[in-house]
Amino acid sequence: MSSGDYNYSVFIGEQESFLDFAMHAPKVTMRAPSFPVESLASGETVEMKELWKTGVTIIEFGSFT
Amino acid sequence: MEDLAQRFADRAVRSVFIYTHEAHPGENYRHHSSMDDKRANAKAFMEHSDVRREMYLDDLAGTAHRAYGGLPNMTWIVGRGGFIHYKSAWTNSADVEDALVNVIDFQENRTKHQWIPFYSERSAWSTRPMDKFREGLVRAGPQAVSDYEAMLERNKGKRAAPSEDVAPRVPGNFYKTEEEESKG
Repeated sequence: MSSGDYNYSVFIGEQESFLDFAMHAPKVTMRAPSFPVESLASGETVEMKELWKTGVTIIEFGSFT
Repeated sequence: MEDLAQRFADRAVRSVFIYTHEAHPGENYRHHSSMDDKRANAKAFMEHSDVRREMYLDDLAGTAHRAYGGLPNMTWIVGRGGFIHYKSAWTNSADVEDALVNVIDFQENRTKHQWIPFYSERSAWSTRPMDKFREGLVRAGPQAVSDYEAMLERNKGKRAAPSEDVAPRVPGNFYKTEEEESKG
């Protein structure tokens, strides 16, 4: 998926993505994948695994709209 | 979720929010064409919402978001070492808390009892504060409202209240009635 497809300009609301979540996303009991993320407050880039290094971490994904 | 984050902070539970892409882009808050767009919308989101948790952004292509399934409002609970304790296609604070209490209970009591590990899955549902959601669509712009209404119109059959024996079928799951399966 290209950056343009990911950042779509028109909401369609495809139901298939929910199946992808169930079938292809990491499963409970697996090790969570880690990617670089940028802190909105500091602008610093950190690896996600640094977030849960100190203990249990709740991660919510979302957006403005 | 803010309340949950505050209540469990003193039990060494960290709560973060990863800002992704605009699910319902509109004239006022458009889709992202650059990281600067993404940062600007994330900051606007912080100003207009009650989110006070640490906020992070993944890259413009949504690499982290897509690797975790790419849904608009997922929640995951990850333990130290990266063990995935919980994943939910939609965020419901009561459901998250239920899972979190179980995780903490194991950590605190695992040495005191004989225990059996097991894995479970369940379907779930929750209501949605539609006034607040619509307010967000209106804030994003007329396009966000019309795109959402068009989606409802396309899916109105699927979104009808299901019968008692079927349970929540939207958003997506694997269930088909015998009649639907026979049709292929």
